[in-house]
Amino acid sequence: MKISLDARHHRLTVLAAVLVAVTAAVASHPAWAQSNLFGGPRPLASNGIAGWVLAKQAMFYQELAGMIRAARDNGSALWGLMGISFVYGIFHAAGPGHGKAVISSYLFANEETWRRGIALSLASAVMQSSTAIAIVGVAALLLGATAKLMSDTVNLVETASYVLIVLIGARLMWVKGHGLIGALHELKAEHAIDAGPGGNAHDAECGHDHGPGRMACEERDATMADQAVLYQCHGDHGHHEELDVLPWGHAHGPEPEQLAGPGGWRRGLCAVVAVGLRPCSGAIIVLVFALAQGLFWAGIAATFVMGLGTAITVGAVATLAVGAKGLAKRIAQKPIGRGGVIMRGLELAAAGGVLAFGILLLTGYMASERMGLF
Amino acid sequence: MTPARFAVPAWIRLTILAAAFAAVSTEQAQAHPHVWATIKTELIYAPDGSVTAVRHAWTFDEMFSAFATIGIKAKTKGQFTRDELQPLAKVNVDSLKGFAYFTFATADDAKEKNPFDDAVDYWLEYDPKATVLTLHFTLPFKNPVKAKVLKIQVYDPEFFIDFAFAKKSPVTLVGAPKLCAAWTEKPDDPHFLSAQSLNKSFVASEAFVGMGAQFANNILVQCP
Repeated sequence: MKISLDARHHRLTVLAAVLVAVTAAVASHPAWAQSNLFGGPRPLASNGIAGWVLAKQAMFYQELAGMIRAARDNGSALWGLMGISFVYGIFHAAGPGHGKAVISSYLFANEETWRRGIALSLASAVMQSSTAIAIVGVAALLLGATAKLMSDTVNLVETASYVLIVLIGARLMWVKGHGLIGALHELKAEHAIDAGPGGNAHDAECGHDHGPGRMACEERDATMADQAVLYQCHGDHGHHEELDVLPWGHAHGPEPEQLAGPGGWRRGLCAVVAVGLRPCSGAIIVLVFALAQGLFWAGIAATFVMGLGTAITVGAVATLAVGAKGLAKRIAQKPIGRGGVIMRGLELAAAGGVLAFGILLLTGYMASERMGLF
Repeated sequence: MTPARFAVPAWIRLTILAAAFAAVSTEQAQAHPHVWATIKTELIYAPDGSVTAVRHAWTFDEMFSAFATIGIKAKTKGQFTRDELQPLAKVNVDSLKGFAYFTFATADDAKEKNPFDDAVDYWLEYDPKATVLTLHFTLPFKNPVKAKVLKIQVYDPEFFIDFAFAKKSPVTLVGAPKLCAAWTEKPDDPHFLSAQSLNKSFVASEAFVGMGAQFANNILVQCP
């Protein structure tokens, strides 16, 4: 009786999760969001959330030009400029090229807290602003470079950033692939132990000094409904040294207490650099325009404020990713024994997402941003 | 205390993986333009009534104009002559070539592949009052087009440039046979979205290639 109830509960939650994920994916995709399935006539560009965001960000962008010009003659217009920059940043980050996909996939693949998600978003936004300022500052102000040269520089930096995304994806896939294989082995081992003549199955599981086995171990402990035991059990494992060498990725993600440690922040650094290396084209154009108006410093301030707005949008998406991971984890804990496999599978899929994303960007199948005619 | 266990059907597991993958890899993606261009276009006709070339004049927004002219030396500050801007005009048409000049032609319902030769007669004009650049260039048809209905579309498939028709006389027919009529369709016209752009294969992409087609500006010319 209990078994069938559990089973039904599990099936329902899985189905619900699938529905939610599919709906989210469909709703978020402009192809579906924008086209009318029945082919009827429908005005675009001004319709729907996507159209609204698009219209708003275009409006704010063009207002920026006016504000910068006004600030040249009237210092009090600077406040308006900062306000517009902030709001523009929020809307603007809804578009591609601000690291939403990379950061949220990274967060999903690793076990991260929402705080870290927001910190990563903020760090990458600040770095993105700084790169834009550095490029315009050095190229235009010091070297007297032309727009073409500046665009070429941006392209070069962009390529480096895409290579980094590919590397992060490959690295995550390697780690998560090991995790999945480990979880599958554990599942098998568990079967074997259960079939065997009793013995202390728990100790056998937890005795491993090998990360990926943790899920199976966790579930056994979770049936005792004791979180403390769960973490302690994990703590006993010791880490898989070989997999922890590089600053990003982690054999099985940090536990909350590890995040406070000095090494915790380093792990996200690569994701931050990959995203932040690539400057935002909008910021570059705004900076050059400010420079042409003789107000470069106002452009710098506006760029940082814009980055703050960007961080809010990216941070919101990152928080969603962390929440989704938490939900998936809770659901996966229900089916005893399989949860580990499902979770590692999901993480592997997220890692694959980062890799695919990087490859598409690098090969030019996916365009991130372009500065018009250069 | 044997834990309860049952088999999760394979299709459910696969669906979860696929859905999770889709959820993380397709974000709320929406390319956004950084460049706005106002279009004025002339269609050049031969005496036999065929269209031989498309002549464009695109005026860019103030911010992009400032960006494009950075680092260009001008004799008089704030005023660029045609000669001073000529190297930039060359850079522009050269890179436009890689984007098929954002100009697409359909003759009697058949979309032409690579209909144009390289751009000729190109130059940039700077308006010191509005501080904006206008790029002039002519696209000769490889084979002059004789069609009952000729459609010229101008759009950036990746939608980083937002094209819009000029409010005043966006299209002019030069030397066209009598009874030829031209009109324009803009994205916000209610009948705008054509079956063609709907059928375009959708690619899961950050910039969503093909999306720009929905923001295309259509020129339609009908001749008897």
